[in-house]
Amino acid sequence: MSNRKPKRFTAFLWHRRVGLLALVLIIILSITGIMLNHTEEFDLDGTFVDNTWLLKWYGIEPDDEPVSYRVENQRNGKQSSHIISSWQQQLFFDNTAITKLEQNIHGAIGAEQFIVVALDDEIILLSYEGEFIERVSTSISFSDIQRLGIKYKRPVIETSEPLYYMADEHILDWDVIINEDIEWTVPYTLNENEYQQLLIAYRGNGLKLERVILDLHSGRIFGQWGIYLMDAAAIALLWLSLSGLWVWSSRRRKMRKKKHYQKHHRNL
Amino acid sequence: MKKLLHTILLFICLSSVNAQAGGVYQKPDEFINQVFNNNPPKAEVLWLNKDLKKQITDILDHKYNGLRIRYWQQSENSNRKSVWILDEIGKEKPITTGFVINNGQIELVKVLVFRESRGWEVRHDFFTDQFKQARLNSDHNLSRSIDNISGATLSVRAVRKLAKIALILDMEISKK
Repeated sequence: MSNRKPKRFTAFLWHRRVGLLALVLIIILSITGIMLNHTEEFDLDGTFVDNTWLLKWYGIEPDDEPVSYRVENQRNGKQSSHIISSWQQQLFFDNTAITKLEQNIHGAIGAEQFIVVALDDEIILLSYEGEFIERVSTSISFSDIQRLGIKYKRPVIETSEPLYYMADEHILDWDVIINEDIEWTVPYTLNENEYQQLLIAYRGNGLKLERVILDLHSGRIFGQWGIYLMDAAAIALLWLSLSGLWVWSSRRRKMRKKKHYQKHHRNL
Repeated sequence: MKKLLHTILLFICLSSVNAQAGGVYQKPDEFINQVFNNNPPKAEVLWLNKDLKKQITDILDHKYNGLRIRYWQQSENSNRKSVWILDEIGKEKPITTGFVINNGQIELVKVLVFRESRGWEVRHDFFTDQFKQARLNSDHNLSRSIDNISGATLSVRAVRKLAKIALILDMEISKK
């Protein structure tokens, strides 16, 4: 009997070691790869991340402060109060993002039928339930809106000239009026709780799940070294496939030799 | 080498021209004034009922953001003309397009504001003229085929969808 230890196959050892080391990364690569291949089915583009830790990790912080207006109205004997805010080119009804904005906000009022939001040369109409009704360019009647006010429960616009325009009940047509008895809107300062709620709403629309999955797949989520980590995982995968092939062919050769030996030297 | 450098420079110049090709081609109010010879009628609104919303959603493949749509209409003798200014996202940003519908068929299509960086070719007459005289078939498709523009597929698709919507909306107001 020989004392010789069985010779361990180096490629097989490294195949196993590399496989174990890269296991987690390869799982991440595979799952995120599948998800990215089916972006629409998983609705990655339409899903927003609201995890505080992840949002902080991405540094999603608004650059400026929100501009808010408090809108109060009494309809059908019921008093309602809502906060309309513009923050980072988004319009919020209380804590719900309604639509994107391309212009600055100049006020929001509660008219008889709708909430009216004035921008540079556009107005946005919302229902008291927060539904988006219409975005109207006012440039056919006037532009360069400076202030929004209310008179007889109807919106009044002050332009830079200055001229004063009051809308009809359905906000379809505007008439020039004199600057009298107009109650102008003033920005409302959010309290700490309202600010935090709005911040959560803002952040909720700040980071798409697709971005996170994409960054997980490329390794960018772990910073600049993350890319090299995923590169290493990809190289490991390449090594595993080549070393696997090598181990398989070596074993096959060995088995053939063994069979050949047994066949031709069985009497020895 | 010099030739290659020139080609690269030319390519960069052409790319920057393309990137700047978007913008406001005509303000919506100017478009309305032009269509009605500086004497536009008062704006009217069409509130979207459940059925209309469903039809629009089916065409757009997503929910329409809004509950009512503004239009301008003028009737002379048996001639009824309506103007619609509609938005739809091409790839990422909305394309604002004006439509003039005359007795149920498209008279004019004009891209008014193009906010995307690519696909602005849809603003050209060679594309928008294809819509002229188009009507809605019984299956709510355009009666005329609209050729695609390579590199502007999403913008073409958006304008095509808006044309169908404008015709549906015009059909709706004609019932009033």
